[in-house]
Amino acid sequence: MSETIAVFDKVSYFYPRSTRAVLSEISLEIKKGEFFGLIGPTGAGKTTLCCALNGIVPQFYGGRFFGNIHVAGLDTLEHPINEIARHVGEVFEDPETQLIATSIENEIAFELENLKVPREEMIRRIPWVLDIVRLQGMQKKNPVELSGGQKQRLAIAAALAAQPDLLVLDEPTSQLDPVGAQEVFSTVYKLNKELGMTILMSSHAAEEMAQYADRIGLLSEGRLIAVGTPDEIYSRVDLLQENALRPPQVASAFYQIKARSVPVCKVPVRVDEGKQELARLVHDGAAIEPPRHFAEPEKKTEQPLVHIENLEHVYPDGTKALHGISLDIHTGEYVLVIGQNGAGKSTLVKHFLNLLKPTTGVVRINGIDSSKLSVSDLASHIGYIAQNPDNQIFNMTVWDEVSFALKNLKYSKADVERLTTESLQAMGLYESREMHPLALPKGDRARVVIAAILAMQPDTVIFDEPTTGQDFRGAHYILDISRKLHQMGKTIIVITHHLYLMPEYAERVILMGKGTILLDAPIRQAYFDTEKLQSTYLSAPQAVELAQELSRLTGKPLPVLTAEELAGCFSAAGNGGAR
Amino acid sequence: MSAVAPKGQERVVKNIGGAAIDGAPIAYIVVLAAVVTALAFIPFSVVLASGGSFPMNQGIFGLIGWVLGPIAGAIASGIGALIGVFVAPHTAGVWFVTVIGAIVASFAAGCMSAQNAKRKSWWLGVVIVTVIALIIYLGRALFVNGIALQWAIFASFVNWSSLLLFILPTRTLVVKWIGSKNLVLVAIGLALGTWISFGIAHSVQNAFTYTMYNWPEEIWVMLSSVIPIEFLSRCAIGAVIGTGVIAGLRAIGLVKPTEGVY
Repeated sequence: MSETIAVFDKVSYFYPRSTRAVLSEISLEIKKGEFFGLIGPTGAGKTTLCCALNGIVPQFYGGRFFGNIHVAGLDTLEHPINEIARHVGEVFEDPETQLIATSIENEIAFELENLKVPREEMIRRIPWVLDIVRLQGMQKKNPVELSGGQKQRLAIAAALAAQPDLLVLDEPTSQLDPVGAQEVFSTVYKLNKELGMTILMSSHAAEEMAQYADRIGLLSEGRLIAVGTPDEIYSRVDLLQENALRPPQVASAFYQIKARSVPVCKVPVRVDEGKQELARLVHDGAAIEPPRHFAEPEKKTEQPLVHIENLEHVYPDGTKALHGISLDIHTGEYVLVIGQNGAGKSTLVKHFLNLLKPTTGVVRINGIDSSKLSVSDLASHIGYIAQNPDNQIFNMTVWDEVSFALKNLKYSKADVERLTTESLQAMGLYESREMHPLALPKGDRARVVIAAILAMQPDTVIFDEPTTGQDFRGAHYILDISRKLHQMGKTIIVITHHLYLMPEYAERVILMGKGTILLDAPIRQAYFDTEKLQSTYLSAPQAVELAQELSRLTGKPLPVLTAEELAGCFSAAGNGGAR
Repeated sequence: MSAVAPKGQERVVKNIGGAAIDGAPIAYIVVLAAVVTALAFIPFSVVLASGGSFPMNQGIFGLIGWVLGPIAGAIASGIGALIGVFVAPHTAGVWFVTVIGAIVASFAAGCMSAQNAKRKSWWLGVVIVTVIALIIYLGRALFVNGIALQWAIFASFVNWSSLLLFILPTRTLVVKWIGSKNLVLVAIGLALGTWISFGIAHSVQNAFTYTMYNWPEEIWVMLSSVIPIEFLSRCAIGAVIGTGVIAGLRAIGLVKPTEGVY
């Protein structure tokens, strides 16, 4: 693995009309056959670095470029993109934006046609790559019919068909559910280990990067500030936190345990190593106490805000999305709705807004049958922040977008000004108010939509996958807003796959699977029902896994949900086996 | 923000791939050609001009030249107009004249910019071609068909006024306004520029159509009032669509074609 496939030598880059270097003094060698992970907060320059590898930066974008990048021996400024593309395949964040054909085989053939690959060779390669990404037998299927994970695997197959030396994946799992993300990671890992393909992947998925990558590079404000093995990088929790990055929960937990003067010999970055380290600590007599009593959410007895009885919904194509759902949500609750894609989560909450009508059953909002309420009646009380922000954006500036509904609801000019300003400031977007919303990164676009909803001051806010595509800082920014609204007495409903983010926020969990409610329980109970979570392809956060292991080792109940809570179970006194 | 000069050697950045034509990404050319085709469906006419209504896309040929530059702009407009001839024959007129007009208008618009030092004299080529076209068109009218001088002058007002404005510093002033941050100036620049660029295309088109149809003096009388009104319609189309397109392109921050002037 000593031969290099890509070399960056003192690379700096400025986009046109920008005085800020988006890449600064990057010197890096990527070795043949390695899995190189690239991490960094949003805006660190990860996408630019990925696009520099096949010459799109700077050949397509222009700007000022300093230094050299050689890929497979080719200088990326001296060779055309189509020549470099034979050596570098690239897969982007959103699978929807990179699929254009009407069948899977045409999708793969498109790239090959552009590279003038003979027809017979195309016919040989298509089943080969489909086999690798486990889409065999689906040649004639239209890509729009695939799931998110399958679409991303198809994008990988299309890139792979050109038989590149280096496969670059730019946050390929950030838009996917856990099943899709796992499919992509396992496919990429297989390519790396079984075919020896060199991989460069940027991702916020810390747990998976720790598991699969050989080396990790940490990019911050355009500078490559650290390169090392996952153990070397992810165990430096302080460095990650300084750069607004999330370490794997296991690393975070042991970092905090160590900070309590418990003799942790090494901060593990993978959950299996974490379990071994726990066993060692228990064996060595570390002082472990169950945490203080956690307050149970109070039982509500007043009239529910949302009352659902035997709700069923059948889509026009005959798909039965909900099967006899019964549920009450009370004012002031913070409810988390989880489940795999297609479980019926979005279908359920759309009934709260009359965006969908029950096929059978009843939905009452504040005691009134929702069928008697108009969408506009409900919209002024219940704000719905949809999964894809771009579907809700249509104005020319951020300010116009956020103030649009207020103007339509005939608020006074002064109120429009005040509420829009407050909402933009709350979401950290005031400085961007004159920008076109679509010129902002996807994470910021989501915040524009949230700001527009918050400006209307709804009593209930539904967040549908609010943290998808956000980095750690962006995700917490949004969730902190949700907590602030909750503390103001508003009802919050969040749909998400990111379970590890939610313990600080949510009180109650509704777990859905195949259109039914599998579990409706307080979060501390729900997260420990790992069997039910796994039945709908969800995994409990690593902290819960470690807590269960520690509980097994000590025989004490440890209902902890976060790395902080887990670390709180340890105390320095009584620890044995100091090293 | 990097205050310190980068240590690496600065490189010459050029697009050497096949994904762009004359610095304009092919995707842009395809999209704008499609817009030209789509607008070919919409007849936009005050009254009959050279024997039929004119398609709305005639208002954006200049815009495409300013967005993509003379070569890529001419390609986009030419392809769009050619497809438009087949899918929207009701606005096509004489098919090859329609396509030539699209190409010349976008090319002339693209040549109004002086930002590319190697192309500073391209506008002279446009002038020469236009003068030749006017000699064919007006020469035939005056000396072959005996049209009265005053009607020839009135009916060709858009043609010679465009040529004069193209030769005068108004050529570069239009480009300066289109590149202005002030959208009112952008709109004025687009309107005036559309008059100039389509006026030049119209001269070239008429060299063909007049040779084919030799319309009598009565038509020249009518055209002398109709044509300027039609041109004002094209200018309005160019200004309205163009201002929105340019404001949007600037706001979204998409990659700007090398020869784009916005």
